[in-house]
Amino acid sequence: MKTFKLENEPKIATGFKTPEDYFDNFSAKVLQQINEKEVKVIPLYKRKKVLTMAAAAAVFIGLMIPVVNNYNATSKDLDEATLENYLAYQSNLNQYDLIQNLDTNDIQKLNKNVAIEDETLEDILSSSPNIEHLISE
Amino acid sequence: MTDEKEFILQLLNPKTQDLAFQKLLSDYQKPLYSHIRNIVLNHDDADDVLQNTFVKVFQYLKNFKGESKLFSWMYRIATNEALTFLNQKAKLSGITSQDLQNKTIDNLKADAYFDGNEIQIKLQKAIVSLPEKQQLVFKMKYFEELKYEEISEILGTSVGALKASYHHAVKKIEIYITTN
Repeated sequence: MKTFKLENEPKIATGFKTPEDYFDNFSAKVLQQINEKEVKVIPLYKRKKVLTMAAAAAVFIGLMIPVVNNYNATSKDLDEATLENYLAYQSNLNQYDLIQNLDTNDIQKLNKNVAIEDETLEDILSSSPNIEHLISE
Repeated sequence: MTDEKEFILQLLNPKTQDLAFQKLLSDYQKPLYSHIRNIVLNHDDADDVLQNTFVKVFQYLKNFKGESKLFSWMYRIATNEALTFLNQKAKLSGITSQDLQNKTIDNLKADAYFDGNEIQIKLQKAIVSLPEKQQLVFKMKYFEELKYEEISEILGTSVGALKASYHHAVKKIEIYITTN
């Protein structure tokens, strides 16, 4: 097969044609379009429509804020409560399991709690019938 | 160049604007039409894109800084409009831009505004098989006979890179036509 070489061939034209007097009428067409566009630069009703829609969207989003917040909040609360209930009533965890899972931080926290409740401790001690026994120890 | 500056001032001055824009239209409608037609291939689409191009040129004239020549600025708008149009049309039909162009070429034989033979259709098919940039460079150089310097200003690519692109395009086209 003969190798095709573009430069050896006579120039190939595109073959594209236009309708007769297309270019005679073209500028009139464009100018008409431009004038139309200029006349209806800002159609008032369209602007109003956009404004109304924007306002409606803003109100809707505004109304949604508490709903969304609540939704997130309730879903979190629910999780914690469910977890607590489950651990307290449903699980097989016993005291020893809990104690085993305590780390030093937890124990320090517990210590602090006890320390704060000195007064209560006194009350208990004073009202306890075994107080003498305890003191003597 | 001073003539062009003067002409741009006329285009921006409301008193002289109409006449100047008329002149712009009559000077550029034919070359820009060919440029767009070479990209979108059929007459009706080229007509749409050409109208949009001139409307955009009119709208953006006040932003035209004169940093580039009016000529390359308008060609740039036309190129962008044509390529955007092609991509949108392809998207609407759910096919790639290349498939769309292939389909358009198949329809060319029945097009009232196409008068060409087999070799012309084959050449168009060969062009479509090229990457977009090479297609543009080839069409602008071979069909529109623009200078490399002009193409460089329009596409923002160096003359060297354009020459390489054109060379690659020609090679691929010759292989395509030889083997098909």
